[in-house]
Amino acid sequence: MPEAKLKIINPLGLHARAAAQLVRLAAKYESRILLVRRDSAVSADAKSILSVLTLAAARGTEIDLSVNGADEQAAIKAVVELFASGFGEL
Amino acid sequence: MPNEVQNEKPQLTVAEFIEKSPAELEIKVLAGENDLGGKKIESERIQKLGLALAGFSRYVHSGRIQIVGQSEISYLQHLSENQKYEALGHLDFAAICCILITKNLNPPPELLKIAAEKHLPILQTPLVSSKTIGIVTNFLQEQLAPQMTIHGVLLGMYDIGVLIVGDSGIGKSECALDLISRGHLFVSDDAVNIRKIGKRLEGQSPDLTFEYIEIRGLGILNIRDLFGVSAVGKSKQIELCVELKKWSDVEEIERVGLEMKEEKIFGVKLPKVVLPVSSGRNLSTLVETAVRVHLLRRAGYDGARTLIEKHSKIVGGN
Repeated sequence: MPEAKLKIINPLGLHARAAAQLVRLAAKYESRILLVRRDSAVSADAKSILSVLTLAAARGTEIDLSVNGADEQAAIKAVVELFASGFGEL
Repeated sequence: MPNEVQNEKPQLTVAEFIEKSPAELEIKVLAGENDLGGKKIESERIQKLGLALAGFSRYVHSGRIQIVGQSEISYLQHLSENQKYEALGHLDFAAICCILITKNLNPPPELLKIAAEKHLPILQTPLVSSKTIGIVTNFLQEQLAPQMTIHGVLLGMYDIGVLIVGDSGIGKSECALDLISRGHLFVSDDAVNIRKIGKRLEGQSPDLTFEYIEIRGLGILNIRDLFGVSAVGKSKQIELCVELKKWSDVEEIERVGLEMKEEKIFGVKLPKVVLPVSSGRNLSTLVETAVRVHLLRRAGYDGARTLIEKHSKIVGGN
């Protein structure tokens, strides 16, 4: 089960449009993709928009990512890249 | 739009105009009874013949109804017989589709004589010109509205017209049947005739297939027989388009619901919802909900927006 540490670097945080991008990307993979806020331990399923919004993650928030499933390697790579690209805002 | 579209340039013969026009016009035929079927009205706009009678006939359009009222009749009456023939000689009678005389005025016999010779229908109404023009223009606007046929199903839901489109075999008719059994109104299956009237899109069923639906496995069904007269409607103003798509064909599935897609028909923008189809998704409930969401948005309330605004305040973004 690969894991990674993420940081929200885009100015608007994990707002609605970014969240929708994440959810759409996550839905392409079979694996279960879990996001956990490091400061509050609130967790979210990356395939559910309401769940991702519940993280209420502003810029600078640190998140632990864990992926579990058949295509976990590809999935974690894609999610890490999306966060690193700042959801196309940078 | 992923559908076959066929466009017709609509026209109406003078005979059809008389037959279908609103009863209040009480149209009588004074001349040219035998020529009504051959004369075609092509524009919803009317013209008045005054200036043409006075000699300026350059702008007389053949496809428009020519209105003759009190002023034209009085003008003709004050002329001598020779002058009348001269005034009427300004007109190319063969090129005019018909003349409509208002206020039950009696045209000079010279006009009737030439009209009969040149096969020009002369009609008469008891209404005054201004009233006649209003009624005729409205009526022609509807009759001559541009029309096309779209492959889809039209229903009336919560009093708005909902057009369901999608590839054949995706389940449009089955979805419609489900919605009809829940009490929604059936307008047309498979082919929907759409007319643009002003900025509205009016949809109705082709005459032949009115009340009929085809369900694979059951065959052709008559909805009025099965569900009663209140289950079918003649026409509906289309306000929302729902597209059913195979899950694999949807490029981007809507997850938030802030952005609304659009469908353009005759240049009129129609809000559109794309619903991915798969087993375990109850389509009729989804369509019904899409319509409720549309009604709320139309009234200025958007649930998704309210949540996103709340969320943005917390995240501190936009």
